[in-house]
Amino acid sequence: MESNESSTSVLVIGAGIAGIEASLLLANAGKKVYLVEKASYFGGNVIKLEEVFPNMECATCMIAPKQQELLQNENIELLTLSQVESVQGSVGDFTVKVKKKARYVDMEACIGCNACFEPCPVEVDNEFEERLNKRKAIYTACAGALPNVPAIDAESCLRFKGEDCQACQEACMFEAIDYDQQDEEIELKVEAILVATGFKPFDLSKTSQYGYKKFDNVYSDVEIERICASNGPTEGQIILRSGEAPTSVAIIHCVGREEEGYCSSVCCMSSIKITHFLKHKLPEIKVTHFYSDLCIPGRAYQGFYEEVRENGVDFIRAMPEEVSKQGKGVVIKYKAEDGKENTLNVDMVILAPALEPENESAKLAQMLGIPQGNGGFFTEKEPDLDSSVDTSQEGIFVAGCAQGPKDIPDTVAQAEASVGKILSLSR
Amino acid sequence: MGEEFTPKIVGFLCNWCSYAGADLAGATKQKVPSSLSVIKVMCSGRVEPSLVATAYLRGADGVLVAGCHPGDCHYREGNYYARRRFALLRNTIETLGLESKRLMLAWVSASEGQRFGEVTNQFTEQIRQMGPSPLRKALL
Amino acid sequence: MAKKIGVYVCECGNNIADNVDIDRVIEIVSPMRDVELVEKYRLLCSEDGKEFLKQSIQEHELTHLVVAACSPKQHELTFMNVCVAAGLNPYLFQMANIREQCAWVTTNKEEATEKAIRQIRAAIARVAYQDPLEKKEMEVSPDVLVIGGGIAGIKAGQLLAAPNRKVYLVEKTSSLGGKVKGFEKLFTDMESGSALVEKEIEKLLGNKGVEVFTDSEVDQILGFFGNFEARIVKKPENEEHNLSVGAVVLATGFDLLDISGLSQYGYGKLDDVYTSLEFEAMNVPGGSTDGKVLLKNTKPPQSVAIVHCVGREEKGYCSKVCCMYSLKFAKMLKSQLPDVKVSHLYSDMCIPGKTYQNFYEETKGLGVEFVRSRKTSVVQNGKGVTVKYETEADPNGELTVDMVILVPAMEPCSDTNKLAEMLGIPIDDEGFLAREHQMLAPVGSSVGGIFVVGCAQGPQNISESIVQSEAAAGKILSALVPGRKLELEVKTSEISETFCAGCKLCISVCPYSAITFDEIRRISVVNEALCHGCGVCAAACPSGAASVKNFNSIQIYQEVEELLK
Repeated sequence: MESNESSTSVLVIGAGIAGIEASLLLANAGKKVYLVEKASYFGGNVIKLEEVFPNMECATCMIAPKQQELLQNENIELLTLSQVESVQGSVGDFTVKVKKKARYVDMEACIGCNACFEPCPVEVDNEFEERLNKRKAIYTACAGALPNVPAIDAESCLRFKGEDCQACQEACMFEAIDYDQQDEEIELKVEAILVATGFKPFDLSKTSQYGYKKFDNVYSDVEIERICASNGPTEGQIILRSGEAPTSVAIIHCVGREEEGYCSSVCCMSSIKITHFLKHKLPEIKVTHFYSDLCIPGRAYQGFYEEVRENGVDFIRAMPEEVSKQGKGVVIKYKAEDGKENTLNVDMVILAPALEPENESAKLAQMLGIPQGNGGFFTEKEPDLDSSVDTSQEGIFVAGCAQGPKDIPDTVAQAEASVGKILSLSR
Repeated sequence: MGEEFTPKIVGFLCNWCSYAGADLAGATKQKVPSSLSVIKVMCSGRVEPSLVATAYLRGADGVLVAGCHPGDCHYREGNYYARRRFALLRNTIETLGLESKRLMLAWVSASEGQRFGEVTNQFTEQIRQMGPSPLRKALL
Repeated sequence: MAKKIGVYVCECGNNIADNVDIDRVIEIVSPMRDVELVEKYRLLCSEDGKEFLKQSIQEHELTHLVVAACSPKQHELTFMNVCVAAGLNPYLFQMANIREQCAWVTTNKEEATEKAIRQIRAAIARVAYQDPLEKKEMEVSPDVLVIGGGIAGIKAGQLLAAPNRKVYLVEKTSSLGGKVKGFEKLFTDMESGSALVEKEIEKLLGNKGVEVFTDSEVDQILGFFGNFEARIVKKPENEEHNLSVGAVVLATGFDLLDISGLSQYGYGKLDDVYTSLEFEAMNVPGGSTDGKVLLKNTKPPQSVAIVHCVGREEKGYCSKVCCMYSLKFAKMLKSQLPDVKVSHLYSDMCIPGKTYQNFYEETKGLGVEFVRSRKTSVVQNGKGVTVKYETEADPNGELTVDMVILVPAMEPCSDTNKLAEMLGIPIDDEGFLAREHQMLAPVGSSVGGIFVVGCAQGPQNISESIVQSEAAAGKILSALVPGRKLELEVKTSEISETFCAGCKLCISVCPYSAITFDEIRRISVVNEALCHGCGVCAAACPSGAASVKNFNSIQIYQEVEELLK
């Protein structure tokens, strides 16, 4: 069991944009940062995007310099494939146990050439690419994912299922593949903890009226983000599963809002962003939005909405009643604002689901002793009247979508605020 | 003409977006013409007219300047200056006796590995069709 | 002193070795001028590779280093550290990218080899002209100036003040508390705003590191991150105070749009048409109506219309918090006057986040009416007022009410433009102070060391304003550590005094306002604390006076020459 003695260390749980920003600031201040990330790569939800609203800035270009800086910062220890198992103690002196799953690849020896992929005989759905393409049992999330070291998915790997396969090890020139690697238990002593575990989208299989998973051309917006991505499964080409480009799209907002009971803040803007991108790639495409209330708050967003709307995009204030198959595409039945029943035929439907906290949130909440509130998000100490990064536990802070659905700037602000609180703890 | 000639192309790539995009082209094993030589600059806005002129005078058949997409410049506005300078330069090189199409400005983001391959191949082919730079013959 | 350039070619296992004829590279490159040796190694970035490199540098007493391997983005820092360990200045080092941009993208081995040779020769020619740059540090003041004594400014002061860090809080009016002090109830718990502010002010003033200047304004700010000089003027005597601080936090808050120009709402002409701030004031105990909601005729209203989005079309943005506080108004009205009829006229209900929809549902549950109106106006109707609205079902809707509360757009406070000019911060299209970066630096401004928080940068609620103050504190506490010097960018621009013609073109193009004009010497001067090294000035300079350290034209020329040989 590894351990560290330093008490000027901070634990950051989650290496998305909030975790990255906070880690860099803390490290710059002289703190030792343990950045614990569940996945084999880091960058969270932001690196799945091609562009971000409202400036349509390239997401990778935006975040890559920060990622590079983080990887090269001696004060930050990035623990991927890792999760927090237990937390004891109190502010100034927390004892945290982290379980680091074996990657089966030596991170020092591997140079990231990817020669081990081709010989692997196993192909499974690629979760990072929303199952739109396949990956091998030894894999990296996508081209350009960091750290640029593959991991072996023991559940799909033939060798770990008992067969005698060494294809990847044989292909590796650097002896970087180590089947004997073990999961590690790491004990850390830290003075403060930042929870930045982000969000996951509402499970669309819980809805039936929109035809998700029933009809081929109904997509979630996370799938579309990967389709738009230049390093994604279609290399940025907007095509349906049949291989053709769509000529008409309907984007349905607020999916899951009724079930969840809150507005997820960013989906209207995200849907507008997707529209902007679609129009850019396929200028003739017809786009129709179905929504209940347009949520475009703040100084920066309305201009973008108006620009997109002027481009021949329809916004219909109605939530569709039914989506059914018709020919190659689908037909959407809805009641317009004037009360009349109406239909719309489209090639493609994009659903914008609500944002929920990540899968492990309940477990973490219990471990850390912080309550979960509406939607399962971590509850801040004094909602509305004080900072939203404080939790009921002194020394434990929360930033980003783990605390509630929000956009990137608000996420970064919370990450920086947490740093402000952590750095003034020892006054 | 009729001979197969290999164009000499110099590419000025900005450190943050296009150079990373070129690296990604490598990581994803795209095909990039070997006749492209790369010079890294911190920003496409760094590329001054005299550098471009020198390239042609030293025998470049084509010059590529690549930077971040407008709005994405790591230094906020550098690529806007590059764009303006490029527009002016395109006219200027004609006075040197060079076709303006021998100068290309491309926006390549860090995630556009494939696009980098496409851009460089396209440009190289274009230059190949145009033949060697008129300055090359004059210098020899 | 004679140059001894060491060139090392990494095989990168088989990644480079398979696609590039390294022996040929060594053969061709070795005779180059000043090249002391050219050697290959299996994996230079490995522990023994780095050790080998270090030993070799020392053994051969190399003066410059070239490593031909993967992308500098992978290992430039790794090999710079090796240089330092070997006693060689890390800026006398250059990498040649022969993996990502050569071996991995070229199918023909011969072509790849020729390309590798070109890139390596270019790196060698370049490195010979590189300068041994040194890291730079600067003394800084850890103290902070906070402009604006509202909730955002107060919170910034609380978090930043410490025994080794002073906070100066400057407030224009005679008391702290800003707008929130005047809110009787806050959403969503309907707690008292004045009580909240009082508590926070007490906490702030309990801190010895805080010095508050009320009735004061900032007159001038000079300097740059880590070293600002600010001049404060305190009324009524016009007392001047000069402060040295390392950072500035601007928390000047908002004003409501002046809607007297929007005649369709009857504000200022019709009785009992109020703005939201006026309605807030009415509810404050001890105010003109002692906290009671009353019409001009001193009777309580029986019906109230709340008109959202007033001025939204003119301003072009959604003010984010108004739907929520409009719902709060409905709750307050119902609480004071249970039988009052409340109607909201709105276009979109903006209630983002995990708790706001509940608040809306609760308000709906009180029997409050919601009318989604495309166009709303307020007209005289005998002694009262009528609200005219347009819905899909009813294009000529009318609602006669006793009282109208107009909810105007939020703007940055009136002093913002003056301050923006003083500080050199641009104003965006919507009139707010522009962010350093829309996504990644929400509380920074384009001027290093000056942070903008709260409604000065955009409409937001109390919790968000507090988070932004804390975020500014986070950035400041991370960079300005008492007793620690600020490390500066090494590869900055420099302007030769000899060649500078004083045309100021560089000043006009610098994205960071890092260049100033020295009126006495009549030349432009780079502030190395602000320069990011982009080189836009070097490219713009007509006389070649501006150049970027280790990215100067001579060095780049070397590359161009070698690449085209």
